[in-house]
Amino acid sequence: MENQSAVESKKQAAYRQGVYVFLGLVLLTALEFGVAVWFDGAAVLLFIIALLKTGLIVQYFMHIYRLWREEEH
Amino acid sequence: MSAAITDTVTRTPETHEEEPFSVRLERNRLALWLFIFSELFLFGGLLAARFYLWGGERPELNQVLGLIATSILLVSSFFMARSETAIAHGDRKAFLRNLLITAALGTLFLVGVVGVEWQGEVAPSDGKWGAIFFGMTGIHALHVLSGVIFLLIVWNNGRKGHYSAERHWGVEACAIYWHFVDVAWVFFYPALYLIGSPVHIG
Repeated sequence: MENQSAVESKKQAAYRQGVYVFLGLVLLTALEFGVAVWFDGAAVLLFIIALLKTGLIVQYFMHIYRLWREEEH
Repeated sequence: MSAAITDTVTRTPETHEEEPFSVRLERNRLALWLFIFSELFLFGGLLAARFYLWGGERPELNQVLGLIATSILLVSSFFMARSETAIAHGDRKAFLRNLLITAALGTLFLVGVVGVEWQGEVAPSDGKWGAIFFGMTGIHALHVLSGVIFLLIVWNNGRKGHYSAERHWGVEACAIYWHFVDVAWVFFYPALYLIGSPVHIG
């Protein structure tokens, strides 16, 4: 029972993290659109935002760190 | 491919002994990331071609549609992540539901780009404008299509109970691929819709 509740709380924490990352991506996309309108499509700024979005996706959605993690044998 | 998706047992060709799941998992991950890395050259090449041929200009595209398509792909990535989280915690119902939502959103993205944007102002015969626009969106749409097929295969396997909280490499691989498709669009969207001054074609 206790184990089940620990799994449930871990799952909720993982879901929460997904929501935070998603909100971050939404904010960056809105900023991207704003930059394009206000700064007349400034390429450097837009690419910096794209890199930030990529960082979030690669780290939290694609879990690149698992590449260096040793699995239990 | 199907063995990787269904997480069935594989044997080494030399010894025919069963390999531990953890060894296969580490190897599969490395192989998939190498594949993703090789894909970067394809998408990077297209991006370089866009800046070489279009420079500081871009065709006048439907901005609302571009933003909606980007949002759809972003939301689909969110549901894909939820789906993977669900199976990693043994919640099969949520895993299947979120996977189907992801596939539906991927299909919607395809309808938006291929079904609507491709019928817009830019035609394939419009020289550099058509070549880059259809080249970039076409290659990306092909990846979205293959991603949707991948999602449906994983959904079907999941429905049959092929995945568990401990063993779900097929789901993880599908998620990594789907998120990569999203990452490619993260760069394509500003390159096609936002960077440079709009030019009226035709």
